[in-house]
Amino acid sequence: MPAHVLLEEDTYVLNHCTRHLARDNTDGRHAFYDTATGFRANVCESWRFPVIDSYYDAALGPDARYAFNEVTFVYFDPTAPAPQSVSVVGTFAPLYERLPMRRIEGTRYFTVSLRVPKGEVYVYKYLVDGQWVLDPINPQETRLDNGERWSRFFTHQCLVPLTFESWEQELLRRLTDHLLPFRTRATRDFIERYLKDMDSATREARFPNAHRLDQSVGVVNFIDKLLAREERHNRDDYKTCIALIADILRQRYPHLPPDQVPRETIVALYDELAGNGSVAGWDYTRYGEPAYFLKLLRRHTLMGAFSHPKYGGNVGAVGWAFLEDSVRHPATGQTLFDWRRSIEQPLGRSEEYRG
Amino acid sequence: MSMKTQFDMVIIGSGAGGAPIAHELVLAGKSVLVLEKGPLLRYQHEHPRGLSDFKRDEFFATGAEKRLQLEVSNKGRSYYSSHIEPDLNDEPHIYRTADGRDEATIEGYTAQVVGGGTHLYGGVSLRYSPLDFRLRSYNEGRASRLRDDPNGEVVREARDWPITYEQLEPYYCKGERLVGINGTREGQAKMFSADHYQKPLAANPISRYVERGMDALGMCRYRTPLAVITEDHAPSGRKAHDSRTAFVNRYGDPLGLKSSTWACLLGPISRRENFELRANCIVTHLECQNGRVHRVHYRDPGGEPRTVEGKLVVVACSAIESVRLLMLSAEQDEEFRRRIHDSGLLGRYFLTHCFGGAELRLAEDEERYDKSISLDSDWATDFCTNSDFLDEHGLWAGGALYNNTSDQALPLSLARTHRSSDLDTTWDGFLNDVGLTGEGLVDFIRRDFGKRLSMSYMANQVPMRDNRIELHPSVRDKWGRKVAYILKGWHSHDRVVMQVLANQCRAVLERSGARYDQLDWGSADGVNRIANHILGGARFGTDPKDSVLDPDCRAWQLDNLYLTDGSFMPTAGGANPTLTIQANAFRVADHLKERV
Repeated sequence: MPAHVLLEEDTYVLNHCTRHLARDNTDGRHAFYDTATGFRANVCESWRFPVIDSYYDAALGPDARYAFNEVTFVYFDPTAPAPQSVSVVGTFAPLYERLPMRRIEGTRYFTVSLRVPKGEVYVYKYLVDGQWVLDPINPQETRLDNGERWSRFFTHQCLVPLTFESWEQELLRRLTDHLLPFRTRATRDFIERYLKDMDSATREARFPNAHRLDQSVGVVNFIDKLLAREERHNRDDYKTCIALIADILRQRYPHLPPDQVPRETIVALYDELAGNGSVAGWDYTRYGEPAYFLKLLRRHTLMGAFSHPKYGGNVGAVGWAFLEDSVRHPATGQTLFDWRRSIEQPLGRSEEYRG
Repeated sequence: MSMKTQFDMVIIGSGAGGAPIAHELVLAGKSVLVLEKGPLLRYQHEHPRGLSDFKRDEFFATGAEKRLQLEVSNKGRSYYSSHIEPDLNDEPHIYRTADGRDEATIEGYTAQVVGGGTHLYGGVSLRYSPLDFRLRSYNEGRASRLRDDPNGEVVREARDWPITYEQLEPYYCKGERLVGINGTREGQAKMFSADHYQKPLAANPISRYVERGMDALGMCRYRTPLAVITEDHAPSGRKAHDSRTAFVNRYGDPLGLKSSTWACLLGPISRRENFELRANCIVTHLECQNGRVHRVHYRDPGGEPRTVEGKLVVVACSAIESVRLLMLSAEQDEEFRRRIHDSGLLGRYFLTHCFGGAELRLAEDEERYDKSISLDSDWATDFCTNSDFLDEHGLWAGGALYNNTSDQALPLSLARTHRSSDLDTTWDGFLNDVGLTGEGLVDFIRRDFGKRLSMSYMANQVPMRDNRIELHPSVRDKWGRKVAYILKGWHSHDRVVMQVLANQCRAVLERSGARYDQLDWGSADGVNRIANHILGGARFGTDPKDSVLDPDCRAWQLDNLYLTDGSFMPTAGGANPTLTIQANAFRVADHLKERV
């Protein structure tokens, strides 16, 4: 399908550029971010590019328009001479289609906005005065099977694993399950019922590729996406600590794969991590402060369960639905967390707010 | 963007201090430029495809973790900024801790966006009490003694405002009419010459406890004035919808029902030919010549340096940033330095508010309430502002009390503000409470969600010369400019004010008839509590030796330079400051109309 270009106003694009890109500093003050070197280390929140926003079209119904994002590309490289022409090529359109980017008058920002389906990972490159270049701002890159490097982004509700191997996902699922309020039989039943009650067409429209999801609430997917983008700087903490935890579980249960140990073992491990004492079998030379990892994990788990579903967790708003269901009035059955009234359709039922 | 470089008025900042002046001067036919460092975020009805740049999204409002990289003692610490707060690594505020270390803080900012802090605030739009305008003369004449003020510093440092409540009152009316505020006049202790309030919405049912508590204590109460429209608002052409969601405090409103200065004052004039708004433009310094600011230097959205000229120049970037801008200008321009530092008071007498309150958790067998269907507050009282109350408790000044309804009304805010005292400690309480997991988390939600009831007070801080804004000697912003350095403490009498008013909040909850299993009260009294109510630093007065600004908020020695954010205040007022900043800006606007 050819690219669906959207006309976007200069103000919109500048609103997303100035705060992050306009600056004089050359001191790498944003270098805490895992992949930040050179120009990227000087800019604030480089991961915000390209800009992924909601999409709205009054002519389409709630489910139809909800299937899309608006993606705004910005090419800007103050370390290179100002280019004459810039275009973008990517997997959101046929690869032969070069989408010209326009320069915003009076600036060195080149831009184009597209309508792109949700739930997917895309790769792209810029063609700058005839030269192929990766995005100098966006730190997400991927190497294709042929060895070529491309810039990468993903749209809302993306369920494609980008950070974790499947064994890591499974171990992380067990850890986060313990942190969440969803593991009693009653809550598990609720979640299953909630997701099943939606007919499959609705499910596919609202939660594209939900069939790929094997976790109840999507917390692991949320963390996978967070570590691929906003909090990439915490990725190594996860990688290291999951490996260390797997080692400990292997020591304690030599005959079971780490993701199949009894629940009590996970609970005991959590208590050790949370306590002030040392964690038996933990290799402190590889990661000095397991309690810090636990803080990361707890914050991310809660955010994954209760953030807007666009971030890849809280699948189908099941976390909100669980809250809605657990705070019902004992006599009337009416919920005392009516989140749907203020959230956009089709997730919620707000007549005014569009997401 | 137009390349026009000459205007009648150049206004720096588009929030509560700048927007009223732009609005009035544009309607008076003057050519006005507003320079705003933040973006122009739009409401749904303003966007070509019908989407707002504000979202009802908890992760959008308090974002991902970032790490402080600056050479300060809290380097490496995590911070979480919203999409319109400055990034701390780019433009921090530095304060000195009680034990003398320099730390960066996210406190003390309003918001960097067209509309400023009025997008994010809860909208509480109280008038100050008449006594707040004359705390020097009131305290000089009193027989009763002030507690914990052994050296008489309170009277010595208090200043009467050069204007009275009665002089500002018509502008309060004007602000209430043009901004779009719902509330009730009945029950307020202040004189009103007109009532422009829109009808308040039905209170959240949880607020009935506060009604009972206030009634039991004989506190006259009124519906908290909130800058959210509940009826169609003719002055700004806005249509009302149901505005009750928990996405209130710290959220911009995608529908524009919250009366930000963009919604009520700038949006409605934005298509006029004599008005120009340049968003994403940061002013770097002012240049003067012959006693006048003759050029304003700024960076355009691409970062290129530009200049403009205005016959009159208004600085309204919020107190800390305005003072910083003047100090940075003084470092580059000898004449500017001599004139702006003439009194030696620029940056001095920086103020925030004594702030705190009480909070209870309803007992297991009490009802639960859906706090996500609410605005920021339902009931307020002026009980603690009258002179009998002040005499009884030995206080120099009083403060407003009101309840909060939208706090912790959403799942992530419940967790990230759990036991946190300010924006710097977001998430800390939850993360340190390691029992909140699994069953513990189920229990936390079941016990706390929709069951917390709180009361706040907002009161005057004693002005102290050493509470001040300076330029930090070493930390630079992303443009290489020195950042603001805040040195601040509390007077011993402030602690009395905090204790007395927190106790009043506690009493309201104790007498509310609510059965509870937790009740806490206290005040935000850490030195890092700079808060969003940033006031003073360039106080106005009648004596050029004792003030930075004249009674019209004009710099004494710079004929065309005005400061109209909260920096003009010699005392902080016993209520949230936004409406008073707006009212004063409308007052200054009347004066400015005569000058160009």
